[in-house]
Amino acid sequence: MTQQNVSRIKKETPPAPGISLDAWAVALALVLSLLVWAGWIKHIPW
Amino acid sequence: MASSIALSQSRPLSFFKRIAEILPGLLLLAAVGYAGKFLERSFAAYGKAHHLTLPNIEYVLWAIVIGLLIANTTGVPAAFKPGLATYEFWLKAGIVLLGSRFLLGDVLKLGGISLILVAVEIAVSLLFMTALGRAFGLKPKLTSLLAVGSSICGVSAIIATKGAIDADDEDSSFAIAAILALGAIALFIFPLVGHWLGMSDRAYGLWAGLGIDNTAEVTAAGALYSDAAAKVAVLAKTARNAMIGFVVLGYALHWARKEGTEGVGNKAAFLWAKFPKFVLGFLLISAVATAHIFSKDQLTSLANLSRWAFLLTFAGVGLRTDISEMRKQGLRPFVVGALGEVAIAFLTLGLVFGAEKFLR
Repeated sequence: MTQQNVSRIKKETPPAPGISLDAWAVALALVLSLLVWAGWIKHIPW
Repeated sequence: MASSIALSQSRPLSFFKRIAEILPGLLLLAAVGYAGKFLERSFAAYGKAHHLTLPNIEYVLWAIVIGLLIANTTGVPAAFKPGLATYEFWLKAGIVLLGSRFLLGDVLKLGGISLILVAVEIAVSLLFMTALGRAFGLKPKLTSLLAVGSSICGVSAIIATKGAIDADDEDSSFAIAAILALGAIALFIFPLVGHWLGMSDRAYGLWAGLGIDNTAEVTAAGALYSDAAAKVAVLAKTARNAMIGFVVLGYALHWARKEGTEGVGNKAAFLWAKFPKFVLGFLLISAVATAHIFSKDQLTSLANLSRWAFLLTFAGVGLRTDISEMRKQGLRPFVVGALGEVAIAFLTLGLVFGAEKFLR
């Protein structure tokens, strides 16, 4: 397989489905909320 | 050369490499944001110590101005860019955590009013921007991108529509630059107009949420007015963001029909893919808070976590605003965008005043 073919196959292959930025942001917020609720995070100052 | 680039880009970055990549920019966001907070306190303390009546300049404004100064004087080195790009991630995490400060009943009431106003705003804005783009002889796809950007939610909407209607990179960068420039201007003008008109926190927040394009700028413009206004502004903007899928789907179908290309297959899947998931996270946290699962102290901690996340976002708003880049994009898209934004600001102001009795 030539370099050119490898490149073309790479270009034509759709990217693997990943977790979106939104989903990561939601996950982080939920984990932080859980830690606060469970008392692992006692107090966040401002 | 091209193939080696394609191969190296496709290889997944290891977790630690990714962290190392974003760390410099993330630290810069934190430093600029914290400097804003430090300056707010120092300025107030100086006024108090010297018995001076100084205006209360919020950390939001300091952080944005410091960011703007860095970005447009020394510039931001490339090593910081990946970390700076995380400002949008912090914005979304901050919005989800902000859900803890809303009772679900308020969300439904204010969100319901917002959704009605959003529907009117989107319909009028899309029609107005399309007519304006035609009058100024802009390319039809650029006009579509500007219309979506100014009627729904700025950069995310433009990027989603770009993919759906197969627009040029050049058109989307024109539209993004115009929307970002106008968002930066609105960020400073909206609070001044709000104070001048003596608007209540709720009315102003709703206006900022409906009238300003980008979520980060909406949050900052709300926070510049008051904490309560910021809450309402984020809620109204979240209702607006929720409409993104419907409008992008409409444009995708319109352009597919016009160009005789293959349309959208599964419309429900398309809508789900475009739906901003952080809206669901926001509703979930709000429902949990409404069920009194968190104590008062815990709710305060969650609200403060949200503030820290927004602090990074506000620093990012300033740091990613490159005035010279905006100047390079040309005047016409900017003029169309500016005229549209002014018209949308007046329209939404009228809508908010019309709906004010329902806001109490």
